[in-house]
Amino acid sequence: MSEVLNALFLALLVILAGAAVRVRDLVGAVLILSAYGLTMSLVWAGMGAVDVAFTEAVVGAGASTVFFLATLLRTLPREQPRERRARPATLVGVLLLGGLLLLAIHEFPAWSDPASPASLHVSPRYLRDGYRETGAPNIVTAVLADYRAYDTLIETVVIFTAGVACWLLLPRRDP
Amino acid sequence: MTEFLAYAVERYTYWAYVALMLIGFYAMIAHGNLLKKLIGMNIFQTAIILFFLSISAKRGATLPIIPPEAGELVVAPPHFMNPLPHALMLTAIVVMVGTLGVALAVLIKIHRTYRTFEEDVILRQT
Amino acid sequence: MLLDHLPALLAVVPLVAALALPLAGAVRPRLVYPLAVGAGAVTAVLSLLTLERVLTRGVMRYHVGGWPPPWGIELVVDHLSAFVALTVSGLVALALLYAGPAVRSGTAGSPSPFFALALLYLASLMGIVVAGDLFNLFVFLEVASIASYALVASGGGRALMAAFRYILLGTVGASFYLLGVGHLYLLTGTLNMADLSQRLPELGASRVLLVAVGFLVIGLGIKMALVPLHGWLPDAYTYAPPAVTALIAPVTTKVAAYALARVLFSVLGAPAALAGIPLMSVLAWAGGAAILVGGVLAIRQNDLRRLLAYSSVSQVGYIALGIGLANRPALAGAYLHILNHAMMKGCLFFAAGAVAARLGGSALTDLRLMHRRMPVTTACIVVAALSMIGIPPAGGFFSKWYLLVGALEAGHTLLAGVIVGGGLLAAAYMFKVLEHACLARPDAAGHASDESPGGRAEAPAAMLIPLVALSVGIVAVGIWSAPIVSGVLWFAAAAGLE
Repeated sequence: MSEVLNALFLALLVILAGAAVRVRDLVGAVLILSAYGLTMSLVWAGMGAVDVAFTEAVVGAGASTVFFLATLLRTLPREQPRERRARPATLVGVLLLGGLLLLAIHEFPAWSDPASPASLHVSPRYLRDGYRETGAPNIVTAVLADYRAYDTLIETVVIFTAGVACWLLLPRRDP
Repeated sequence: MTEFLAYAVERYTYWAYVALMLIGFYAMIAHGNLLKKLIGMNIFQTAIILFFLSISAKRGATLPIIPPEAGELVVAPPHFMNPLPHALMLTAIVVMVGTLGVALAVLIKIHRTYRTFEEDVILRQT
Repeated sequence: MLLDHLPALLAVVPLVAALALPLAGAVRPRLVYPLAVGAGAVTAVLSLLTLERVLTRGVMRYHVGGWPPPWGIELVVDHLSAFVALTVSGLVALALLYAGPAVRSGTAGSPSPFFALALLYLASLMGIVVAGDLFNLFVFLEVASIASYALVASGGGRALMAAFRYILLGTVGASFYLLGVGHLYLLTGTLNMADLSQRLPELGASRVLLVAVGFLVIGLGIKMALVPLHGWLPDAYTYAPPAVTALIAPVTTKVAAYALARVLFSVLGAPAALAGIPLMSVLAWAGGAAILVGGVLAIRQNDLRRLLAYSSVSQVGYIALGIGLANRPALAGAYLHILNHAMMKGCLFFAAGAVAARLGGSALTDLRLMHRRMPVTTACIVVAALSMIGIPPAGGFFSKWYLLVGALEAGHTLLAGVIVGGGLLAAAYMFKVLEHACLARPDAAGHASDESPGGRAEAPAAMLIPLVALSVGIVAVGIWSAPIVSGVLWFAAAAGLE
């Protein structure tokens, strides 16, 4: 049953993504993107990645939508986007990307195999010893805040950098 | 034909991220409206996150939270999800929104200067 | 011992300075510039100490937080890392000093965010150079990217579309890199470079590995602006404020090239593990194509900065060519070129900014008779031009020499010809620049050619000092090429080939 639900959600994702790209009204497209983000977070929650799911719900579906809408409200674009034109380089790029991805999928281990290399190396220690070594029952927290805390530090630096970037680019007063 | 269908169904969870990545990538490169390009960018990046989570899924496993009451019980890794990609993808989402924020700031400035989001109109003005 | 923490300090010092800058700026605005330059200088000194340590004690491995790899994040500093770190921090320190007049005159945005972003940029480049973990590299790569997107966009006007295009292409590049890392993770379960290098050979030929390599190379290729993935570079370097181009042009593509070399050699164990895939040949030929395409396009430009931008595309080709040839002399040449190009292109972009500030524009015609008005700047351009063309004792000659030796050793006489051809192309476009700068020519309004408009207008000291320092450095590196190669780069080149 959950497999069917999973498949339905994935199909919904693709439909929403296509719609967000094709809808001509920009505000509508942004709101569809928001729905896409929410559906994505449901898919991830269904896969067991709850931390990632609620981060996406807050950041992807929530904050990103707010940023988009804020941009649209500040700029109030009048015209609707026109149809796009495909240059040959675009098709080459798309084919290349799709080709590489599909080529790899052919040799993937079966989905959700508990004996895949990713499940056998590195992560078992996090699970086995994580609570004992770090004191965090949530092992994702243990990884983020302890084992790989350096990454998390730089992740906050990313936000800081983006903030300073906006400070540089956007004047406090509209000219 | 039936072999191909069986093949396709067996790997159905992967087709989703391929489709999404291609939709997002195409929108980023081919669409003429700058805001739509950013929407495409968002879709492209979330598709990559879906990829990471798809390849690290584990059948029958539960959330990687070890309840404190477990005490001295030995934790069997195969029963728990792989926490590493989750942590990485949290960072990736943050990076994604950081880039989006800067891109939107640039977009606001572009609109102030050129009064449009259409790429070809802007290029004609420069 | 503080020195034990050098690998981490290289990124942390500029990071802390970047965090302190806005606070300092709010309290005492005049502190911002000295603080920024000071942080750059301290980082450069630290990287010098790091290089010295690596030379005397060997490779440094640092486990962040005490967690052993592959469970924790590892920082690795070997000969190549230390060399690139010193190059980058030195160039950025000079660029920070150089940016003073531009920031003061308001052409580069307000001081606090500009210098904060510049220091964040430096911190992230240092982070990339010492990274021993593929995902850690990605996060630092994104910090560097975001900082440079914003810095480029601060130019306003045409810089905005250039920055937007840069954002799109840069995100594709970083995302491809992440996809590559993901496929490698799928195969091995680890992100640590040393761990991967041990596990990948056991897997043998695998389509997933092939795809991972493809994504990594394309992603980093975009970041280093390797033809045909260079589309973002010309506009970004041309329209960004001169102080920004001076900051990012010497180092952005080099760090990406370093990352490519690091991934190819220290992780993938090329060329051995990539059996059956002519990846290194493709890379070498792409480099050759870049040399020619960039050079030809540079000759056709009438704007100094755009000319230099295409020249950068061309020069990155030399580095890619060396990496693709993958033998010791070629790699030594490629790595030496990282230093040489950073210095000579830095010198040229610094000069271009000085010209824009003093003579009012960046079209080649604006250089008219600059040798009378800005003699020192002109002399620096001449030195850099000698290096670009490859005339000893300027450094550029030596990196091309090693590349030539490497190409011939590998039996690629055609590529050797391309290297020589590139030098001729560089001669053509540098002569174009020097012709405008030094030879008398009537201007568009037909004024007599020996009237120089206005009097002496040499660049301000803050711009002149880095210019002169780089010119001297170009020659010094040229003269000392042999010890640099035998003492540092020979080991750096060997490290990947075992």
